[in-house]
Amino acid sequence: MEDAEPGNRSASERLFPHLGVMGMKDSEKFWHPYVAGVALGLVLLSSLVLMSKGLGASGAAHRLGVAALNSVASSHVDASAAMSGFKADGASPLDDWLIFEVLGALLGGWVAAYSAGRLKLGIQKGPNVSTKKRLVLALTGGIIMGIAARLARGCTSGQALTGGAMLSAGSWLFMFSVFAGGYALAKLTRRQWL
Amino acid sequence: MVMIFPIDALLTSQRELGLIMAVLIGFGFGFVLERAGFGRAKKLAAQFYLYDMTVFKVMFTAIVTAMLGVIVLSGFGIADLKAISDYATSTTLLWPMLVGGLLLGAGFIIAGYCPGTSIVASASGNLDGVVAFAGVVLGTVLYSEGLDAFTSLSTFHNSSNFGHVYLYDLLGVPAPLLALAVTLMAAGCFMGAEKVEQLFRAKLHGSSDGIVDTRSNPVLSGARRLAFGSFAGLAALGLGSLLMTQTPVSAAAAGSVTATEVARKVLEQPWDLRIIDLRALEACTRVRIPGSECVPMEKLGELDLQNAPGTQLLVLVGESDLTEVPPAARDYPGRIKLLSGGFSNWKSFALSAPIFPGNGASEAEIEEFRFRSTLHATLTGMKQAPPPPPAPSSGGGFKKKSGGGGCSG
Repeated sequence: MEDAEPGNRSASERLFPHLGVMGMKDSEKFWHPYVAGVALGLVLLSSLVLMSKGLGASGAAHRLGVAALNSVASSHVDASAAMSGFKADGASPLDDWLIFEVLGALLGGWVAAYSAGRLKLGIQKGPNVSTKKRLVLALTGGIIMGIAARLARGCTSGQALTGGAMLSAGSWLFMFSVFAGGYALAKLTRRQWL
Repeated sequence: MVMIFPIDALLTSQRELGLIMAVLIGFGFGFVLERAGFGRAKKLAAQFYLYDMTVFKVMFTAIVTAMLGVIVLSGFGIADLKAISDYATSTTLLWPMLVGGLLLGAGFIIAGYCPGTSIVASASGNLDGVVAFAGVVLGTVLYSEGLDAFTSLSTFHNSSNFGHVYLYDLLGVPAPLLALAVTLMAAGCFMGAEKVEQLFRAKLHGSSDGIVDTRSNPVLSGARRLAFGSFAGLAALGLGSLLMTQTPVSAAAAGSVTATEVARKVLEQPWDLRIIDLRALEACTRVRIPGSECVPMEKLGELDLQNAPGTQLLVLVGESDLTEVPPAARDYPGRIKLLSGGFSNWKSFALSAPIFPGNGASEAEIEEFRFRSTLHATLTGMKQAPPPPPAPSSGGGFKKKSGGGGCSG
């Protein structure tokens, strides 16, 4: 046997840190972006080819919201043109492909974080921002994104990723707008992150 | 060509299996996003401060991978690009998408997550992710309330809808060609992104300490080469499939059928095949394969074969070998075969008396002789072939011009 070169020995480990092993050495180690991108692309491809559906997140959020509202104000939802469709014919707003997909994403994210030793309660924030402010901003940004995703018929998953891969003109416009919007505001929010 | 994907059964009749697929696909989605580092707001926000372009790289690599995958599968006739595109994507609404995109980008940098990554952040224990996702839920419902309350909003919501618009249609180029252009563009952007990353990391840290230099790191540049290399390969495949679909469906691709096989089918399972004789009308009405329809080449389009049931094997008969499947028959939904040797071969095979192979002949040869004798007796016993089957349910549009009908001529 030749001497194994120490630099090459862990090549696969460095491309896929923690793949299948419970390595807890370095919780900051992520997959190489191109490797993660190809993997994400293959997930998207199988969804497209097998189910003719893309990946999504905001659609499920809307259904979740309608379901929650429905449980406290059922008649209000019935009267809403924008929301009553989700419970037509007595169906539950939660009885949908996207809801199951998001449940899978929760599970997948949990398993990935757990097996990489990254599963831990906490708050991700920059060094110069208080916890309270960070959470208020997260909620505010979330609300803006919820509105934006409804207007654009999807978010970064459903519109940018899926529509982008299918070369939909609107999706590409959306994608460039997302980056434009982010960069336009980045200066203002700099203190939150850096 | 027979499309295999998407599997329609999963969409409708086997709904439960479809939902299991949803969980599995979602699992992959969440798993990969977490492993890419997208469960952490700082990693995502870094995209907008240019020192870590992971978001851009992962997103575009995923888009290129899925795009090339669908294009290549469609090019080889395994998947249906049009069906998948129209089903999986929304229509293009110019202004709502432009404004929605700008707002989503703004929300992204404020919250630190996009809706999908907030789910993964929640799953890995980050409370800010939970709060951001709750915000998304709230935002979508608020928007619906707004749609109900303000007609001006719902007018804008539905404005500038152009229907399904794809970039390749917009630019008038074949989809595989555009896919190649997008791939090349992405590769160029990746290299640019890496340069920008290094520049801004150095700025941020004040030095280049701890910066991963892709060029000097064999593993990372290996990953890049691997990804770029497979893109190049896939793009080439996609382009190759483009050439393939533009050349006429050759005789070899459609497959041919021997006179023996046709004869057996005609005698044993005539309902299983539909024979179309493409020779000149006079030649065909004089003598032809039993049960075949006389349809001269130029009239083939009138049969509307693309809308035929496709349950029968379509056998096309020329004077001699047909070099290609005629355009009018190409979209026949069932299998198509060309009679090898054409009618002249059929004539010498079925309409001339077979010669007894001799006493020393093998069993197979004797069997062949028996079959041909039967065939010869059956076919030449009839002065004329039986009438053709009724024209397919196209409203009786197919009529013979000659007064006496095609067969009694």
